[in-house]
Amino acid sequence: MSETQSSRLELRDLQLAQANRTVLEHVNGSFRDGAITALVGANGAGKSTLIQGIMGMLRPVAGKVVCSVPKERRAWLPQQLALDLTFPMSVEELVMTGSWPSHGALTGYCARHYRRGREVMARLGISHLAHRPLGELSGGQRQRALIGRTLMQEAELLLLDEPFANVDVETVEVLMTVLHEMADNGTTIIVVLHDMEQLARLAEEVVVLHQGHARWTTAQAVLHSQPTAAESARLALGMPGVGA
Amino acid sequence: MIELLHEWLIAPFDYGFMRRAAVAGLALSLAAPPIGVFLMLRGMSLIGDAMAHAILPGVALGFLLAGFSLPAMSLGGVLSGLLVAMLAGSVSQMTGHREDSAMASFFLISLAAGVMLVSLGGSSVDLTHVLFGSILAVNTTALLLIAAISSVIVFTLALIFRALVVECLDPLFLRGQGMQGGLVHGVFLGLVVLNLTAGFQTLGTLMAVGLMMLPATTARFWSKRLEGLIGTAILLAMLASTGGLLLSYHLNIPSGPGIILLAGLGYMLSALFGRHHSLLAKLRRRAAPLGSPEPL
Repeated sequence: MSETQSSRLELRDLQLAQANRTVLEHVNGSFRDGAITALVGANGAGKSTLIQGIMGMLRPVAGKVVCSVPKERRAWLPQQLALDLTFPMSVEELVMTGSWPSHGALTGYCARHYRRGREVMARLGISHLAHRPLGELSGGQRQRALIGRTLMQEAELLLLDEPFANVDVETVEVLMTVLHEMADNGTTIIVVLHDMEQLARLAEEVVVLHQGHARWTTAQAVLHSQPTAAESARLALGMPGVGA
Repeated sequence: MIELLHEWLIAPFDYGFMRRAAVAGLALSLAAPPIGVFLMLRGMSLIGDAMAHAILPGVALGFLLAGFSLPAMSLGGVLSGLLVAMLAGSVSQMTGHREDSAMASFFLISLAAGVMLVSLGGSSVDLTHVLFGSILAVNTTALLLIAAISSVIVFTLALIFRALVVECLDPLFLRGQGMQGGLVHGVFLGLVVLNLTAGFQTLGTLMAVGLMMLPATTARFWSKRLEGLIGTAILLAMLASTGGLLLSYHLNIPSGPGIILLAGLGYMLSALFGRHHSLLAKLRRRAAPLGSPEPL
């Protein structure tokens, strides 16, 4: 957490609960604009809860989320299972729905939108799948299409819940590149990760969730120096500790 | 030959009641199938049935208070349908039970209450009329009402189409945008109720669901795309309603069951011979050989 740089997303003494059980409390910190922050923690540590809190889908018990990114520029990619894959929709149509929040519900798409949609698909390497129904895609192809939707949305805040689970190696590479590009263009990205190697390649900052508390640190600290931070991150990731 | 065709297909429409019935059927065929497609895609195929029972007490009450007046009966139907939908929704939200169990409970109560009300005030002939409709008795007022409701449905559906699609596919995306998924859902259920009230005069409360669901489920065997599903369903509904009407005229059978049975025949034939997922498609689809040489 750095106080000098600007932040569009700040958590102030946040307390979140699921079904009347407090999951996280006294969460204080801000996410730097244009940085990729990894969210790590053991199962049940509150990663998804925090994401729901940030997206405004879970009302805080106490404290608040201060977010200056307008709603239509916030994107959330939940774990893949939330999608109804039997729904008859093609990849292109899914990508195009990304322009819907800012574009409005009533106006049709114009040539400019279709052009952007094609650019987005080309960037993700899924142009050849444009007219394929979602139900016929592999896990990796589907994830690319979903990231395509957030690109279409021109998201300024992007929350990803384990984006690389059940995804092929090649897709991981493409998505890493695209996410870095998005961050360079100023998008604040928060990503739930389990894999240390992916964390090392993707994130600059890390938020470790452990026993109801959140603690801000850097990827450097988690991976190398600072044994305490590294230790808690390793614990949170459910990995064997260095000295434990 | 041409004379025979004329006698079978055109001549019946010399009668005013047949013309009105045909137009009513076509208007319903435009509005009902798209709703059915969305119900089917949301895994709510049976909700239509439940709602059909839910409008019955209102229809019966309208009948008791105002006699055989379509506007009164329709208004009653809409109100009781919406009431049941809201009650079921709030009970399931309050108790955390699934919405379908609450819906099932309420539609059974509604059905019993409706039948009770009709039999209190009328004869069994009236009951049959409310339950099974009579498309051949559609007068001009009824026709205008049906056409108006169908137009409202088509227009509203066009308005919420995108939100509805997104809500079906990925409700979290909609919620992430701060859109109330519940609002879209509520408006959609309202359309289901409206559509059933438009349909009950011609097909009866119980069979109005048929024109909504059967073309939609049949379309699944012919298209994999949303536009294709909706288009096919509308076409099937139009064929079934006009064809059923002609059948009922020539064979002297009740029009409502005639229309729905014809749609049902379409469903069964499609399940056997349709382009996708049908028995024939399953038999025909065999994995193509890779064509690589055998290992030595």
